[in-house]
Amino acid sequence: MVRIKSRHLLCEINVTDRNCLLLLDDRAVLAAVKDTVLRMHGDYGAAPLCFLCVFLVKYLNAHTGIVFLRFPKNCYKLLWSALPFITSIESRGHKISCFFNCLHVGGTIRTCQKFLIRYNTQQLHRMLPKCKNEEEKQEIRQAILNCSLLRGKKEAFEEASESEEDEEE
Amino acid sequence: MWSRKVKVNSYFWCLFLSVGFSTVAVNYVFEPTTKKKQVSHHLVLRSGTAVLSRVGRSRPIRVLNRLTIVMSDSSHYRPTAAEYRRFDLLAVYPTTEKLFHAACMTYDVDIICISVTEKLPFFFKRAPVNGAIERGVAFEVSYSAAIRDATMRRYTIANAIALVDTCKGKNVIVSSAAEKRLELRGPHDAANLSLLFGLSDADAKEAVSSTCRSVVLHAERRKSAGGIIHTTKTSPEETPPTPDDRTSTANHKHPVWNKTDMIGP
Repeated sequence: MVRIKSRHLLCEINVTDRNCLLLLDDRAVLAAVKDTVLRMHGDYGAAPLCFLCVFLVKYLNAHTGIVFLRFPKNCYKLLWSALPFITSIESRGHKISCFFNCLHVGGTIRTCQKFLIRYNTQQLHRMLPKCKNEEEKQEIRQAILNCSLLRGKKEAFEEASESEEDEEE
Repeated sequence: MWSRKVKVNSYFWCLFLSVGFSTVAVNYVFEPTTKKKQVSHHLVLRSGTAVLSRVGRSRPIRVLNRLTIVMSDSSHYRPTAAEYRRFDLLAVYPTTEKLFHAACMTYDVDIICISVTEKLPFFFKRAPVNGAIERGVAFEVSYSAAIRDATMRRYTIANAIALVDTCKGKNVIVSSAAEKRLELRGPHDAANLSLLFGLSDADAKEAVSSTCRSVVLHAERRKSAGGIIHTTKTSPEETPPTPDDRTSTANHKHPVWNKTDMIGP
């Protein structure tokens, strides 16, 4: 069966100031990636980005800075090589200094989702020793137990990421 | 998981953890001038300063100290200087062809840095590069200059491609000479970035993992024995251990190097 194959890149956007993450939206991230690919690889690199159905930001979590990017399969390495050169994202008038850290490359969103759940569970484990009181510890333990892949919805890791965001503050 | 390495000039440990590095080398760049001839003492990090553990790994992050000597003259590198002993890794940054040749063939260093901020002052020749590869010395390309500025990007890519053409992708390490937190990149990203430098997929992956590890081992060997250890069997009960087998040295009455031939520098 002929099918359009693509690669999904799971990236984490690292910023110095976590409050700026909330200003992000998918159009800003898309614009930043397009702009950087154009700068780095010129017209040859920017051409695959014109496939509107294949080059997309599929998921963006502003609390944790996780973003799923979808690239066409035949040129994803070229486009990926431009991602380390992103130094800032322009969103709603603010310029957010950041860098992209690619965590996982998958063929489908589901594999990326599974990886993200495992990754978030690890992050929660890492935060457990830093808790200040018993209540927070209980919250994190509950979140870790709730991490699972629910059918069709991404509730599990959104819940986990919100509690993570509480802990970070 | 790979053992990866990044060199920085400032201390942001949590960032390394989150990005995915297991070994970090903190670099001090020393440029000898007529006034400064000695490396100052208080720059070396104690190993116990940061006891951080990575999620999913049993060992804490390993921090190494590295010294880079910018050489414009052959007197700048003094192999017998005592201050070099305090650093785990030793690197040189030769600025002329003669120094590059000397560094590749004779100097007892672990890393040779390639200039990324200016046009190459000399061409790479196969002979010294192959000599360095045989000795286990690695060539380093750093990418943070490329991230900062467009002109630097061209120089970095041009110089890196010239190097990779000459050395065929062997013994290359890619590191960030990051001065700020935002100039650091994760290992997957650094490997992907090195595809732009002309490395193949496998070489790119090695450039951030196994070649770095071999450099660290080369440094340990250099510190402990002063050269390449060549072991020979003298008699059944007196067989000296190989360099990798460090645990058995404790059982011997005599130190290892009395019974082995030393091929020193």
